[in-house]
Amino acid sequence: MVEAQRGDVLAMSQLMDALAPWIARICGGIALDHADDAAQEALVQVFRDLRDLREPAALRGWARRIAVREAVRHAQRARSEAARGDDTSALVSEARDPGVAPDVRSVLAQLAPEQRAILVLRDLEGLSEDEAAAQLGVAKGTVKSRLFRAREAFAKRWAE
Amino acid sequence: MSAEAERRWPSARVGNVARLRAIAAARPHLAYRERVIDAPFDVVWSVFGDLENGVPQFDTYVRWLRIESREGERLTLRSNAPVIGPAMKFEAIYREGWCVMRSFEGEVGMAADALDAGRTRVAHVEGSRWLCALGRWWFMRTMARELETLARLCEARR
Repeated sequence: MVEAQRGDVLAMSQLMDALAPWIARICGGIALDHADDAAQEALVQVFRDLRDLREPAALRGWARRIAVREAVRHAQRARSEAARGDDTSALVSEARDPGVAPDVRSVLAQLAPEQRAILVLRDLEGLSEDEAAAQLGVAKGTVKSRLFRAREAFAKRWAE
Repeated sequence: MSAEAERRWPSARVGNVARLRAIAAARPHLAYRERVIDAPFDVVWSVFGDLENGVPQFDTYVRWLRIESREGERLTLRSNAPVIGPAMKFEAIYREGWCVMRSFEGEVGMAADALDAGRTRVAHVEGSRWLCALGRWWFMRTMARELETLARLCEARR
């Protein structure tokens, strides 16, 4: 980790192997159709700012915060563009063939990006409510209410 | 969330080129180029990833490259560069579609991903921590020509 911070490309390559699949999964569940771009920008930020990270042990939390922020930003932008009619991909991703069993992507597409982010942090990453609140920069009460609604919506659509 | 939902959780695609792009962004003194080549991945990697025989055909700064040892993905290599040094020693991480190399003098990276319709995206990063802005500009120009040569070599092998 310290060698990667110093700019050693071999150490950076090894760190990339450890981080890329994990960041891809975080962005995948939040940004959906725009996950590739979100993951790319998150990785660029992580590696560009790596040298400024003072405590190597904080790497995962710091990188997770960047990935979630980028994924939510991409998802929100896609949603607002779709609402304006600039881009139909976000709406298309929410359409579902009623004859086909739901997949996770189409169920997630029916939740708001903020709800998907809280599901990722609490249920996929296993963070506590306090940790999730700190990662998202919102109050613990907001995490609780968002999580309740997200879990309820996910379970209902998953069971349909 | 059920275990089944977790197992089927969607994931972004982060290919070799995306990974190299992120590393290059963290090393602004390096010159970075990408190109789409109209040839399948295995054809492209048979030239781009052939360190001893392929690389000297397109890389201006490599007269020869020899693999001295190999242990899993880790290689040590020796290279002769006409301008930079008579026999540079490199350490590398190498696998299909991915190669990064480091020596005292400089750093090199190569990445390739298969695209649709039998095309391949390649990325090449090269430079040295001592490279000034003019040197980096020069590398950028040279690398554009190198990738042009690589594309010609690969397209001829289709």
